[in-house]
Formats: sequence, C-alpha cells, structure tokens
Amino acid sequence: MKQTVGLSALAFLLTAAPAMAQSTTATGTVAIDAQVRSVCILGNPNPALVNLGQISAGSGPRTGKIDTIAPRTVTLPASFCNFAGSVVRVTTTALTSSDTTSPQPGFTRAVNYTATASGWALGTTAATSAALRDGTSPSATGSGATQPLPKIADLSVTLSSFTTPGDLILVAGNYSGNVVVTLGPAAFAD
Amino acid sequence: MRKLMLLAIPVVLAASPAFAQSAPVTGTVNIDGSVAGRCTFTLPSVTLSLGELSLSTNGKLDTSKVNGKTATLTGWCNNTAATMSVTTTQLTTGTAAPTGFDNRVDYTATAAANSASASDSSLVAGAGTPSTVGLFTGNILVTLSAASSPSNGLMVAGGYTGNVVVTLTPTIAPPPL
Repeated sequence: MKQTVGLSALAFLLTAAPAMAQSTTATGTVAIDAQVRSVCILGNPNPALVNLGQISAGSGPRTGKIDTIAPRTVTLPASFCNFAGSVVRVTTTALTSSDTTSPQPGFTRAVNYTATASGWALGTTAATSAALRDGTSPSATGSGATQPLPKIADLSVTLSSFTTPGDLILVAGNYSGNVVVTLGPAAFAD
Repeated sequence: MRKLMLLAIPVVLAASPAFAQSAPVTGTVNIDGSVAGRCTFTLPSVTLSLGELSLSTNGKLDTSKVNGKTATLTGWCNNTAATMSVTTTQLTTGTAAPTGFDNRVDYTATAAANSASASDSSLVAGAGTPSTVGLFTGNILVTLSAASSPSNGLMVAGGYTGNVVVTLTPTIAPPPL
C-alpha cells in the first residue's frame, strides 16, 4: 500500500512541474488616434495698403492720362498650407473713381492692372483686370499651379501694368481697388 | 456445579483470537499543487482619441490635446514579483513633412497600478524600465505627458495614430536558499 501511494505522489509532481515553470506575460494596448485639420494661413500683407499717389500725368502730351506707375510688391510672410494639393488664386479689382457718375466721352473712371502672385507653386499666378471706362466689370481672377506638398513660404504679390481703357483721360477724384489672394485646396469653390 | 465449569471454558477459548490483533495502521496521501505566476488583462485594449492636434492660431502642436490625457486598462497579477513596463509608439501620419512641418508627435506614457508606476518616452527606442507592480487586481491607468513635435513646426494635416503597450510580467522570484 505504501508503495502505491508513493508512486502516485511522484506522478503528480511530474505533471505539476511544467505548470510551475509557466509564466504568462500579458500585454494591454492603448491605441491613440488624433487628427490635424487641413488649413491654409496667409501672412498679413505688408504693406497692407498700396498708395499709388498721383496716377495721372501732370504735364506733357499725356497730361490727364495715366502716368507711368512703377510696379509695387506686397509680401504675405510665412503663408502656409499643411496639406498637399493647394493653389493660389488672385482676384484683382480695378481701381475706380469714387465718383460713380458715368464719365463723359473721352474720359474714364477705371484703371486696370495686373496682380501677379509668386512663391508658391511652379510658375506664377496672375490676373489682369479689364474694367470698362465706366468702371463696370472691374474684376478678374487667375489660378496658379497646384503645390504638391505642404508648404510654408513668403508669398509675393506684384502690382504692375497700370493702364486705362482706351488710354482715356482719367476723371479727377480718389481711386481705389483691391487684390484678393486666396490660398486653399485645389478643389475649393470660387 | 461441575456443569457450570464446563460452560466457562468455551468462553475463554473464544476470546483468545482478539488478543492476537496488532495496532491500527495508517496510509497517508500527501497532496500538493501549484499556481503559476500569471498576469492577465481583463480589459486589454482601449482607444484614446485626442481629437484635433494643431492650434488654430498657428498650426503648430497643441500640447494640451495630449498632455494629461488618460486611458484605463484593467488586469491582474498573482505574484508579488510581477513587473510592469511600458512601450510607446509615437503618433504619426503618412504624409511626408517638408521643411517647416512635422508629421510626428512624441510623448511620454506612464502606467500606474497598485501604487507602482512605469513609463516610457517615444523619443527613446524600446520599452521603458520595468517596475515591480506585485500582486494586484484592478485598473492600470495610462497617462500621457511631455508632448512635442520634432521641430515645433507646422503640423501636417491628416489622421495620426500611435499606441501605448503595457506589459505585465509575472516574474518568478527565486526560492529562498
């Protein structure tokens, strides 16, 4: 009887040994997710206002007509888009006289010009206004190439090629216009 | 009277076999067993959603969206020498980061259970130093801190993913000599 008991105990120990050697490592996982929204930011334009001063010739054969106006450049520093596939769009609005009265024949109340944005994608983005002499249809829009990467850069906008419809004599008064620069996804709506 | 004596003899004879018996014997069954050192997560997986990571003002990492955020796993270990360690994987997105941008967020994760804690920074490869968590059952609180992006640059748009792996190991203590 004693032998039988002894053998049983030994058998138990043998089967129990692997269980004692077992050590189960456990892992738990905290999955983390987050998002970064697609965004474009334009730097504040410098200068914010382009003052052209006197724009008509004061003497000579072009007296009263538009004078030669040197190009002006506005910088939008540290403009960026944090996603691939962005474009710059430029909308120019012709300078028009604050006097909205339709001008007499031979006169104009509109000054057209070209705004050219550079520093974003390949090439430049330009828009030339084509207002009529009475100031109607003053706006034009141009889109540039697609920037294939997220980008941060100083955008430059140059105003140039100031002309009047038919090179007519400018009506006296204050003139104002603007350039709107839009930075956004290539597919954004106008 | 003689008849009575004869009757007594058989009684004596019948009693003699009882005197020949030995003392009672016992057989013993010794029983032993074991409980393996083991750690188990009863809640092994959770998702911590941090939401929008960038600041609306300047497009850079908003560390407040990471620091202090917590998630809770649950589990247990059944031996006093059990250890806990943490391995972090940084948050990343699939889009490349040109100069001036970052597409990675590093952080430190600290797991706390049974008055013990272990941590790891995603800035350093591999797991952090294990700490003894011992015998416990209950929550393992994971807290994020020290968020940063490589250049403190603009964050590239997109979805970001990472993870924290907490490892419980039922380390077997050597038997006393």
